[in-house]
Amino acid sequence: MRFLSTGLVRGLIAQIVGTVVGMALTMAIRVLVGLPVSSTDAALQQHITEVHVVGGVIIGAMAFMVGVGVLDEWLGWARGKPINENIDPDPSKPNWMRYFGVDFDHKVIGVQYGVTSILLLGIGGLMAVLFRTELAQSGITFLNSDIFEIMLGYNSEHLFNTLMSLHGMVMIAGNLLGIGALMNYLVPMMIGANDMAFPRLNSFAFWINVPGALILVSSMFFGGFDTGWVGYPPLSVRAPLGMEMFLIGVYLVGLSSIAGAINVIVTVFTMRAKGMTMFRMPIFVWAALATSIIQFTATQMIGLSFQLVMLERLFGMGFFDATAGGDPILYQHLFWFYSHPAVYVFILPGLGIISELLPVFSRKPLFGYKAVAMSSLGIALIGFFVWAHHMFASGMSPFLRVPFMYATLLVAVPTGVKFFSWVATLWEGKLEFPTPMLFALGSVVIFLLGGVTGPPLGTIATDLHLHDTYFVVGHFHDTMFGGFVFPFFAALYYWFPKLTGRMYNEKLGKWHFWLMWGSFMVLSNGMLLVGLLGMRRRIVDYDPALGFDFTHLLITIAAFAIFLSVVLALYNFIRSARKGPEAKDNVWNSRSPEWHIPSPAPLHNFPEPFEVVGEPYDYGKIDSPYVIMPAASATGHAHAAATGKE
Amino acid sequence: MSAIAESYAVKLGRNRLGLWLFLFSDLFVFVGLFVARVVLLGGQRPDLDQTLGIIVTVMLLFSSFFMNRAEIEMAHGNRPAFLRNIFITMVLGLIFLVGVVGVEWQVAHFGPGDGAQGAVFYAMTGFHAFHVLTGVIFLFIVWNNGRNGHYSAEKHWGVEACAIYWHFVDVVWMFFYVGLYLMGNPI
Amino acid sequence: MVHFVIVGLLVVASTLGLGLFLTNAPILPLQASEQAITVDWLFNIHWWLIAFFFSLITVFILYSVFVFRRKRGERGDGKYVSHNDRLEIIWTAIPIGIVLILAVIGASTLADVERRDANALTVDVYASQWVWRFEYTAEVQTEAGETILTAVSTDTLVLPKDRQVLLRMRSADVIHSFWVPEFRIKQDVLPGGDEFVRELRITPNLEGLYKVRCAELCGQLHYAMLADVQVVTPAEFDAWLAENAGDCNLGDEQCGQRWATTYGCTACHSLTGESGVGPTWLGLFGHEVSLSDGSVVTADLEYLHTSIVDPNAQVVQGFQPGIMPQDFAVRLTEEQIQQIIAFIVSLQ
Ligand code: HEA
Ligand code: HEA
Ligand code: HEC
Ligand code: CUA
Ligand SMILES: [Cu+2]
Repeated sequence: MRFLSTGLVRGLIAQIVGTVVGMALTMAIRVLVGLPVSSTDAALQQHITEVHVVGGVIIGAMAFMVGVGVLDEWLGWARGKPINENIDPDPSKPNWMRYFGVDFDHKVIGVQYGVTSILLLGIGGLMAVLFRTELAQSGITFLNSDIFEIMLGYNSEHLFNTLMSLHGMVMIAGNLLGIGALMNYLVPMMIGANDMAFPRLNSFAFWINVPGALILVSSMFFGGFDTGWVGYPPLSVRAPLGMEMFLIGVYLVGLSSIAGAINVIVTVFTMRAKGMTMFRMPIFVWAALATSIIQFTATQMIGLSFQLVMLERLFGMGFFDATAGGDPILYQHLFWFYSHPAVYVFILPGLGIISELLPVFSRKPLFGYKAVAMSSLGIALIGFFVWAHHMFASGMSPFLRVPFMYATLLVAVPTGVKFFSWVATLWEGKLEFPTPMLFALGSVVIFLLGGVTGPPLGTIATDLHLHDTYFVVGHFHDTMFGGFVFPFFAALYYWFPKLTGRMYNEKLGKWHFWLMWGSFMVLSNGMLLVGLLGMRRRIVDYDPALGFDFTHLLITIAAFAIFLSVVLALYNFIRSARKGPEAKDNVWNSRSPEWHIPSPAPLHNFPEPFEVVGEPYDYGKIDSPYVIMPAASATGHAHAAATGKE
Repeated sequence: MSAIAESYAVKLGRNRLGLWLFLFSDLFVFVGLFVARVVLLGGQRPDLDQTLGIIVTVMLLFSSFFMNRAEIEMAHGNRPAFLRNIFITMVLGLIFLVGVVGVEWQVAHFGPGDGAQGAVFYAMTGFHAFHVLTGVIFLFIVWNNGRNGHYSAEKHWGVEACAIYWHFVDVVWMFFYVGLYLMGNPI
Repeated sequence: MVHFVIVGLLVVASTLGLGLFLTNAPILPLQASEQAITVDWLFNIHWWLIAFFFSLITVFILYSVFVFRRKRGERGDGKYVSHNDRLEIIWTAIPIGIVLILAVIGASTLADVERRDANALTVDVYASQWVWRFEYTAEVQTEAGETILTAVSTDTLVLPKDRQVLLRMRSADVIHSFWVPEFRIKQDVLPGGDEFVRELRITPNLEGLYKVRCAELCGQLHYAMLADVQVVTPAEFDAWLAENAGDCNLGDEQCGQRWATTYGCTACHSLTGESGVGPTWLGLFGHEVSLSDGSVVTADLEYLHTSIVDPNAQVVQGFQPGIMPQDFAVRLTEEQIQQIIAFIVSLQ
């Protein structure tokens, strides 16, 4: 019964009501200004329905935000009420309810992000498994089943395109939320802050994802769309109504990115503990900063490009319609101006996690801390000037191609710095291999594979062969898995004891790693191979004469194995959170501040602020303290560990 | 250093940084629109009523002046003058909105669906008008709160934020005005 | 020091192994154009770079994993080394150098791939959902003995060996992309007016049968947007062109059939009674057709004509408006339309 009174449920109900009211409202406005609300002409009727649905969906999303309650305080302020400074949870409510409604604690929000992220990755993964089953052999053999047609009302080709496109975007959304989880949970604790700079904005940034994700996934039931995650016009202007759901959903998730990133930047700049200079921050914070810098600027461009497509669909505004004086290439520039930097958003936090974990498990300082920190900024910065490498074959102005090739290849340099520093960190260490370390090392190899397949795409002549083939697909699954999925799991295992106070099951964790790593290698190398041989992207069926059947079958089997391994991990997490053995306070013997307070961390993290007096990664240097944790904040034996003694 | 006990000055600094970051982020939308305008229309511009353009632009410029007055009056603790000035700002903002959306959109001899010029003109003015609208709402709230005794000479972040936002919207329009009314030859 | 020597040797061995494997394994399609030679040459450079850097990092990691793992019962931390400026400068500078050289090579191979041949054969390529059509210009002798130019329209791209072909490409609806994997290079085909025509130059150098594979997602049948490519000797090419040049004088039905293939109608309309993207043509003429607005009409000559020149005017039930190209009124001559109608009429 109580569940029904949580913010989530109220929000969802409000969203449904809001959508209906919004549609009626749009209809009413159309009547008022004298536009038709129905028509016998099929094409016009389709357009009118689209306008109404879009109006409804947008209002529905707003209604969700009102219903869930994140806007209460702001709406109160607008009505002239004094601002309530107290953001603590209502103590009369049970603890679990905090996770299903508005809560301002960054750790709760981090968990909310994390769970939503895993749900989205799961949905996106299931979509992948569905269309992979289709691709296991040539011919259209699986998606043409009547069940799909009856449920969704469209044919197998369109279903494939919809699943494939949604898979891309849902995974990316899951990815962004996963990063949000890591940044929210870790950044304040790592820099000695009690919370994020703007807790209410933080909560807003999380909750806007919920209607966003719902609308995005609902596009399947509104006729789907067939443009891939990039949504190039004119195809996206002609696609069914599902296209609008895609555009709106992504727009809302983008809003979240912007708000969240601003929050992170302000937090890092203004809330560091005493003595924590920029170069004494745990390295993950640098990664979070670089990521946020990309997020809060570039994201506006995907928002703009998607809005322009919507305007073109709704009001016939010919931005991208060449026959009306528009330019389809313009869209690609706007889109990639976000979406290239965005790929570095996906990986920078992950690489930050790797840099965070390797020193702990090799008991050595992070080699070249400053260079590693700066390389994140370097990647972010250069990343702004390479977008047109996705357009080498697009027919944009030819003189743009060579400068973009130079810029693209240049990204290899700061990325290389990271790799070399990692290798030097491991060298002559005392390496241990619990599950988080395995995932960290596994990501390095996979991300390396993704990285080195970048330059062949970056030189124009070879890209003209590789563009829009599975080689590109292989390249980015390598980078995304190596830069996000594996580090994300590394982080989940590593901070699991912090989050729950309990230990996960090491044996299952290792099974998860080896199963996932091995099958991913098969998956991605298979993709790279068929891509080189001429397998195009985004096709539901391939020519059996090309001889790809066997490799595709392997890829599909690998996809199922990855699926299985993730189920294993989820089982491990859920079981261990309830029944796992209690964890020691500082399980990994880390120097980072979050490990020197009790697990799970108390409400405001640090009842008393700590002071930073040394370098973060002085493993192996006796008597080199990093933080001095006052007794009120610290766990029993934390003080000794903080100074680096055994 | 619990979240509750932080001083007003610390929070003010944070809020300022946050607002400026937000505006910088928002700027990208406008730059994107401007780029779209340059790509699609190049050396041409929509054929628009110049007098009307000048009038709304001047209105918006004046409004920024009154906004500035309002903020200064509040900093001196002069509430009636603050209320008067911010009210004028609001009215000028509304005049601008009516001028662009209510008049210019109706008298323009092309609609949003008429080629690149329609698309560019309605998108640029539309996105900007949306910001003006939110600005006017913001002004109204601050004015209303001010009437009810909120804000003081020392603590008036709400007024400051509103002023910065309003100036930002105004500056953006200066560029859009050039892009829409002055650059290039009419189509 | 010993460690470094061992690792160095392992890196060299691994680079050689991996590099030789990548450069020799059959991981690229057949090489059938001059451009492909250049592209593959650049690929080989990449394979060696990949072999080296992949080996460098993984061998170091694997070595560390095995040699520097914590031994049983061992306590304490690793060696304290926090940074080394010289080393860090080196591993920033060397990649910068490599990358710059790579970019210079990249630019010069691009110039090579795009080299123009004044003597190139021009073919106009028309892409539309989901068919390719190719138009050649041929010289024919009229009965009066003058030479005139006529257009030859086909759905198969026939190319002479060892002569550069200049493809001038345009799309009728959405973005497509022209790609023959054996020729390596691809180019998107854009909708819009003359300023959106894009060019691609290819010099086929191996006779054989290939396929154009549309490489840009263009809607439902993107995967099936294929066209045959035939590379033949110059003599065979000339003969083929001459044979296809000139007006169609096979009789209306046969000519209609020819246009129905070359203009891509049969990609969507079956002649066998199954519905594809569009309704079948078998038994269409003279029968009743239900339209999407609920009315029923008889498919007479006039109906067929409207359906071709203005397909959205009467949309058949169960099909979407706007799928069939809207521009046949300008792409086909009135005579061709009449011949196609004659062909449809014949399908009973
Ligand atoms: C997730 C993150 C991610 C990351 C990190 C990267 C990293 C890189 N990407 Fe990738 N890319 C994507 C995600 C990513 N990419 C996606 C999603 C797409 C497809 C989008 C779509 O169309 O749907 C794509 C597509 C894509 C294309 C367009 C392909 C096409 O469609 O035609 C290109 C072309 O240049 C490219 C290049 C690169 C390069 C050069 C890097 C570099 O940053 C890699 C740098 C790293 C290394 C090189 C390895 C380590 C370095 C060393 C060991 C030092 C020494 C090395 C050298 C000197 C070479 N990528
Ligand atoms: C983070 C990003 C990400 C991730 C993790 C993945 C993961 C996977 N991807 Fe994805 N992929 C993309 C991003 C990603 N992909 C993008 C951006 C595209 C481009 C789209 C486009 O072209 O427009 C793409 C395209 C793409 C293609 C090319 C489609 C085409 O061009 O036709 C293929 C083909 O095999 C593929 C396969 C897979 C597979 C098998 C996995 C698997 O590894 C997935 C494994 C995961 C699971 C199976 C989920 C397991 C979870 C559970 C079991 C939990 C279930 C529980 C709950 C629901 C809570 N992907
Ligand atoms: C991309 C797919 C496509 C192509 C190419 C195409 N058509 Fe069609 N055609 C359709 C669709 C879909 C319909 C049904 C919807 C409609 O009536 O507009 C249709 C309807 C028709 C009809 C009416 C059929 C009936 O059953 O009433 C005729 C006649 C026709 N097309 C002729 C042609 C001719 C001639 C060509 C080539 C010169 C051609 N089509 C090319 C998709 C196509
Ligand atoms: Cu045409 Cu894909
Ligand atoms: Cu990119």
